[in-house]
Amino acid sequence: MSKVLGLGLGIIAAIGGFVDIGDLVFNVSAGAIFGYQLLWVIVIGLIGIIVYTEMCGRVAAVSGRAVFDAIRERVGFKAAVVALVSSEVVNLMTLAAELGGVAIALQLLSGLPYRWLIVLAVVAFAVVIWVTSFEWIERVFGFGGLCMLVFVVVAVKLGPDWGKVGTGFVPHISHVNRMLYAYFVVGILGTAMTPYEVYFYSSGGIEDQWSEKDLGLNRANAVLGYGLGGTLSFALMITGGALFLSRGISPQHLGTVALAAEQPLGRLGLLLALVGILFAVGSASIDTVFAGAYNLAQFCGWEWGRYRHPRGAPRFALTWLVLLVLALGILMTGVDPVILTEYAVLFSVVALPLTYVPILLVANDKAYMGRHVNGRIANGFGLLYLVVIMIVALAAIPLMILTNVGQN
Amino acid sequence: MRTLSSFLRREVVTESGRSLGRCYDLRGELSATNLRVTGLCIGRRALLEHLGIRDQKPQTVVPWEAIVRIEGKQIVVRDDDAPAP
Amino acid sequence: MSGKEIDIGLKVLDHQLLDKNGRRCGNVDDLAIEGGVGDVPEVVAILCGPGYWGQRAGLIGRLASWIGGGRRVRVPWSEVRNVDSAVELKRGATELGLGRGDDRLRPYADKIPGAGR
Repeated sequence: MSKVLGLGLGIIAAIGGFVDIGDLVFNVSAGAIFGYQLLWVIVIGLIGIIVYTEMCGRVAAVSGRAVFDAIRERVGFKAAVVALVSSEVVNLMTLAAELGGVAIALQLLSGLPYRWLIVLAVVAFAVVIWVTSFEWIERVFGFGGLCMLVFVVVAVKLGPDWGKVGTGFVPHISHVNRMLYAYFVVGILGTAMTPYEVYFYSSGGIEDQWSEKDLGLNRANAVLGYGLGGTLSFALMITGGALFLSRGISPQHLGTVALAAEQPLGRLGLLLALVGILFAVGSASIDTVFAGAYNLAQFCGWEWGRYRHPRGAPRFALTWLVLLVLALGILMTGVDPVILTEYAVLFSVVALPLTYVPILLVANDKAYMGRHVNGRIANGFGLLYLVVIMIVALAAIPLMILTNVGQN
Repeated sequence: MRTLSSFLRREVVTESGRSLGRCYDLRGELSATNLRVTGLCIGRRALLEHLGIRDQKPQTVVPWEAIVRIEGKQIVVRDDDAPAP
Repeated sequence: MSGKEIDIGLKVLDHQLLDKNGRRCGNVDDLAIEGGVGDVPEVVAILCGPGYWGQRAGLIGRLASWIGGGRRVRVPWSEVRNVDSAVELKRGATELGLGRGDDRLRPYADKIPGAGR
């Protein structure tokens, strides 16, 4: 029974882990500009993240080593420093963006001033993370994030042209506005395969003291959890396409995304959407702040983990506290979380190879993995995605400049 | 005293001046009580091996006994013990 | 006695250190080797702490070392119990001078309610 429960909870957490502010911004805007044409990119990103989370979860379960351990052991000290600095910068940007999203959702729900809500959100997170246990946080946010499923209903109710939706799943190149199309391809892939997800996932597996007998659980979490998370991404893009494309609206505000649910479902729809966004983005805030703390602690060899409590891992606790304060500082400058999200996703794309290459290397090491080393399928997909990641990483910055961060 | 890091990425040459590539790792023998250094892993294949990519053929290891001297940024080994070019 | 053949840089360097209680207490930042040309060289100590980062990565390493506070701890190889995916030690971290940063911060963490155990 507890196994079924664990499975369900893991899947819920994974759904929450998959959908974050990056998915909201990129998928809905992509829908608003290109209709359903970019649905295929979500599929590619989804398979990529499933392949690599399964791999890093397996490494965590079998060897007890998390992703940043693998990075330091495999690519050498110097490259690990580069990986650490870039991942911390990207994590911090993402954290600030997610926390900004939390504050926006709270503002739309309560009508209170945005800046006050930022402070409130940061303080609430700090207290909750300090005091409560890991599972508890994951569960509450996971269940809250399920409200996002309202977007699946919205997407269906809006009555999209299903024939066009179908053709959107077939990979193709756009004939108009190629540069912007490419920008969105990179953005959608980037947000689906954000590195913080694997940092958090693998360290989370160790927090839950996974062993070889949890490999089935790992696979189910990766495939079903992210699979369902991907369904949400489809729904968001279809919603964007069905609602905004015909009206020529480009949603520049997170609130516009929530309003999309009001159109077909009324106030209840809006409320569910806002609560869903609040918890999805809130859970992503927790994932990113921990990812940042895991990485630094693992690089330095410090004790880490929620399961150690602040007393057992004080430097780890100090790290996430500092990250929260820094993110608060960034948001207080008044930077728009949506813009911040776009930059965070594109910079994270550049850092992708340094994260994924070491995972693939360790997952292939017999001395570590014994009979659980990568099989042909995992390696086939793993290598294929390395190529994809390299291309996307090289293209990210030029596209960002050429399209003026997607503004034209 | 030397450190492991002082060996890494150093160029390995033979006494007659032939370059064997860089040293990417040290081969050791681990027992319950000690860890002895037995050789230098050199060349591109050793780099791949260091990254955990292994092929079946034995990689290029120069035994420690072959080292004549360690000077500056180079490790000089005896010609007889160097792998064929 | 013949032992297991390993690549030292791959299997020991940069790996996690665990003390006898399984506490994470640093990484293997470098290794000290004794015995020159003609001897049978042996790894005699694990070098741990940001103070050793400078010799690992030039300028980047020295900068990281400076930010990290530059502490150096030398753990004799005789303190090693087992080499697995982590390097397990025979004694507690505090006894060996490892994990001092956490030990120093702990009293402050304890002052805030809810810090756990």
